[in-house]
Amino acid sequence: MGAHPDDAVLLRRMAAGDEQALGILYDRWNALVHGVVARMLREANDVEDVVEEVFWQAWRQASRFDPTRGAMQTWLLTIARSRAMDRARSLRRRREDPLVGDDGQVVTEQTAEGNPGLDAEASERRRIVVAALADLPNEQREALELGYFGGLSQSEIAARTGQPLGTVKTRMRLALQKLRSQLQILSEEAQ
Amino acid sequence: MSEDMTHEAVREALEALALDALDASERDGVMAHVADCVTCQAELAALETTVGELAFAARPLAMAPGQRDRVRFRLVARAAADRDAASAPPLHVEPRREEREPASRAANVTPIGAAPTVRRRMSGSVWLAMAASVIAVLGIGAFLNARAERDSLREAVQLAATERGARAAAMDSLRASLGDKDRTIANLTGENVAMMTLTSTMPEAPTGRMFWDQAHDAWTFVGHRLPAPKPGRTYQLWLVTPTAKISAGTFAPSANGEVMMRATYALAKDSLAAVAVTDEPGAGSAQPTTTPFLVASK
Repeated sequence: MGAHPDDAVLLRRMAAGDEQALGILYDRWNALVHGVVARMLREANDVEDVVEEVFWQAWRQASRFDPTRGAMQTWLLTIARSRAMDRARSLRRRREDPLVGDDGQVVTEQTAEGNPGLDAEASERRRIVVAALADLPNEQREALELGYFGGLSQSEIAARTGQPLGTVKTRMRLALQKLRSQLQILSEEAQ
Repeated sequence: MSEDMTHEAVREALEALALDALDASERDGVMAHVADCVTCQAELAALETTVGELAFAARPLAMAPGQRDRVRFRLVARAAADRDAASAPPLHVEPRREEREPASRAANVTPIGAAPTVRRRMSGSVWLAMAASVIAVLGIGAFLNARAERDSLREAVQLAATERGARAAAMDSLRASLGDKDRTIANLTGENVAMMTLTSTMPEAPTGRMFWDQAHDAWTFVGHRLPAPKPGRTYQLWLVTPTAKISAGTFAPSANGEVMMRATYALAKDSLAAVAVTDEPGAGSAQPTTTPFLVASK
């Protein structure tokens, strides 16, 4: 799972101080990053801020990207989720915001309408993870999504769903274990 | 949970740790064990890889063209400024304030008060309109040209420095301009710069950004798509705290509706409630007289 060759080149150019490379990287991946951030945050202004923060962090840390540890998209999305979660938690602390995004929504989105902004590799990875999530029992998928996209802690999930904390812990644990196993199977099938 | 958790108990918490969903009360204990346990470290790394794939479950979403272009514009401009700030040699000569201000103040901004930058305590009942010292305002295009201008200025400084008998006043002026460009860049790209987005209810949908360089008490406001103020009116920028509305100066946007404005004011990190822009009579007001049309809540 190496980095897209062009992405690796862009990262090197960014690390060398080429701001136009950042523009190209942004053109290529803004829809992907925007999708994650928009799912986690409700307000358009927050989404715009965080998308900018994500690419800004990519610029500042371009020299740290290690293509042997995963693809550029994964790196960018990890930053995106982290920054969006920081913002979501900060907003909740300040305003006691309800959970943002489409909380609890079952992620069984189909890919029939296409995936704007994704290259073939990213589209395939999306297909696999959506299929793997679809195989999870609803309550496990819910625990996973509330933690991942909702940015909620296990106690917060328990409070929100009315389930005992121990139940939430078990569901989250089983969900990630199954997802890991499913991803492995589906990835091997795809190769 | 205590820090002497068993390996089994930690193992059961690793999924939540990988998802960053572990409650704070458990986190320290789990992290302490993982730091010394190679088995848990390997398991956590594998789980984090799985978690990393979850982001692909979110459907890619195209940004609105205006929003997409706006973010791109800012990113490339910030990156260019950051690159230059990182590569620029440090300035050794700091211009004196009385020399710097007249040289850098643009025509389309009127500072409210001419008080020097001072740290002062907030007084709840007193309007601090005179406290903000507006240093400079540039068109947004000027900011984008800051890099080129700075390069030219630096060359001029070096040239002047090598000429015997160079006039000290000319040197100071050049250094002042150069220092001002450097400060603009640093105030937008420093590590402790907080950024707030101002949004509007006006039909023209102007937008604004306030960059707060907390390390230097420097405020940089950048506005886009601002309509020209009506005759006899001006725009005024406010820093709003729970107890006061502090003027950061008045301004008029350029012909293409853009403005960049800088102010210096010391404000405690937690005391800013909002940043706002109002439409005021000609010379500005001691306090807002109209409802803000551009606002960001912190």
